[in-house]
Amino acid sequence: MNPDRNHERIVWVHGDCLRPGNPALRARPDAPAIFCWDDELLREWKISFKRVLFIYECLLELPVTIRRGDVAGEVAAFADEHGATGVVTTFSPSPRFGLITSEIEKSYPVEVLPEDPFLDYPGEFDLRRFSRFWRQAESYAYRGGGEQLKLW
Amino acid sequence: MPMSVKDMRREFSGREELIEYLREQFPEAEGEEAGATRGGRAAAERALAGVDPRRYASTRNFLDGAVTRLAPSIRHGVLSLAEVRDFVLSRVQRANDASKLILELGWREYWQRLYAQIGEGIWRDRENLKTGFRPVDYSEDLPDDIVEGRTGLACIDAFSRELRQTGYLHNHARMWVAAYVVHWRRVRWQAAARWFLTHLLDGDPASNNLSWQWVASTFSSKPYFFNRENLERFTGGRYCRECPLKGKCDFEGEYDEIAARLFPNAAMESAR
Ligand SMILES: Cc1cc2nc3c(=O)[nH]c(=O)nc-3n(C[C@H](O)[C@H](O)[C@H](O)COP(=O)(O)OP(=O)(O)OC[C@H]3O[C@@H](n4cnc5c(N)ncnc54)[C@H](O)[C@@H]3O)c2cc1C
Repeated sequence: MNPDRNHERIVWVHGDCLRPGNPALRARPDAPAIFCWDDELLREWKISFKRVLFIYECLLELPVTIRRGDVAGEVAAFADEHGATGVVTTFSPSPRFGLITSEIEKSYPVEVLPEDPFLDYPGEFDLRRFSRFWRQAESYAYRGGGEQLKLW
Repeated sequence: MPMSVKDMRREFSGREELIEYLREQFPEAEGEEAGATRGGRAAAERALAGVDPRRYASTRNFLDGAVTRLAPSIRHGVLSLAEVRDFVLSRVQRANDASKLILELGWREYWQRLYAQIGEGIWRDRENLKTGFRPVDYSEDLPDDIVEGRTGLACIDAFSRELRQTGYLHNHARMWVAAYVVHWRRVRWQAAARWFLTHLLDGDPASNNLSWQWVASTFSSKPYFFNRENLERFTGGRYCRECPLKGKCDFEGEYDEIAARLFPNAAMESAR
């Protein structure tokens, strides 16, 4: 059997996570990866040519196969082609991401990895107004991966 | 693995060839302009290396201030917010020198968290308007003179062209344009938000729509508006100097005078 056609998982890269080190690509560095232009979204948002170009330039620096059409269908087809048993991707808050994920799940399990956190805090914040949110969140925003700094 | 016929191309001799290919592949994409901003991790890292958190803090509200222009890369996850934060902190001696920039990253985080919570709700008014008008008092359509940059106001027309040509507008310009469209022209914010999403390289439904709602007052306690003095100051006067309407434009006057003109019903309410 062609080893290329027998991957446990494939990676689905979407437009909210176009970096080589995104959590899904990091978790599966050797897995085949796909990005699919979302025809429906292109129609709905009327994305201008310069936006298409910017995104395409991002894609050219990623190890992905680029396709276009119905995203869930294309991702599942790509998993078929590679004899995969599942799909790995990175979280996005967009409702469309949720819809596409549920659609893919009709044929393959989808593992959604969290985005690298900006605020290292597991709980919920009060989101009614930014000022309330920031009062709770600000101190966590300074706990980066780097060395700790004197605050003031 | 051999390339499938469905695969889109990945090899190009240069940007020109890529542009030609994409014009064929995406004939429906709006506009002729390609924009000068390069996409990709390499370009994003170069931009990140140029960030100066202290100059940012003192100049960010000025059109020629030391803003980062990282938004398209952050919006598409080419850079994570955490990476940008770590880099920014590594560039300062005291965290306080980075606090302005980190606060702005906090705004992005805030809108994204809200998006996760309310989803398509970002397209609906979060709260009632505080302008004294009803939603039906606003026009559903964005007037052509705004989109085409021929309102006669030198500032607004320049911003409209810049949006279309480059896909970028400074934050302050976004606020002025939004206030003009929603309050001076009384257009529904949704119509205008769609226009921004078409063109902004950083076009993000959450940051964009909720910012429009903040200007409109459906997600804030009062509408945002400005006067010419404010615009003149933060633009270094570059538009007013050559504007045929200087001295008699819609933005002349003190804030309370403008509020009385723009929101006569609301002004009466608060006077009562
Ligand atoms: C009407 C309107 C529409 C907007 N639409 C968008 C949009 O579609 N996408 C978008 O990313 N931002 C949007 N913003 C927020 C802000 O204007 C831009 O993020 C900023 O101008 C981008 O330029 P910069 O990268 O040079 O920002 P900088 O000032 O250098 O800020 C650094 C980063 O912080 C984040 N940031 C800064 N200010 C804000 C803010 N107010 N809200 C959210 N994130 C912020 C961005 O990721 C930005 O790249 C909008 C603001 C308004 C008033």
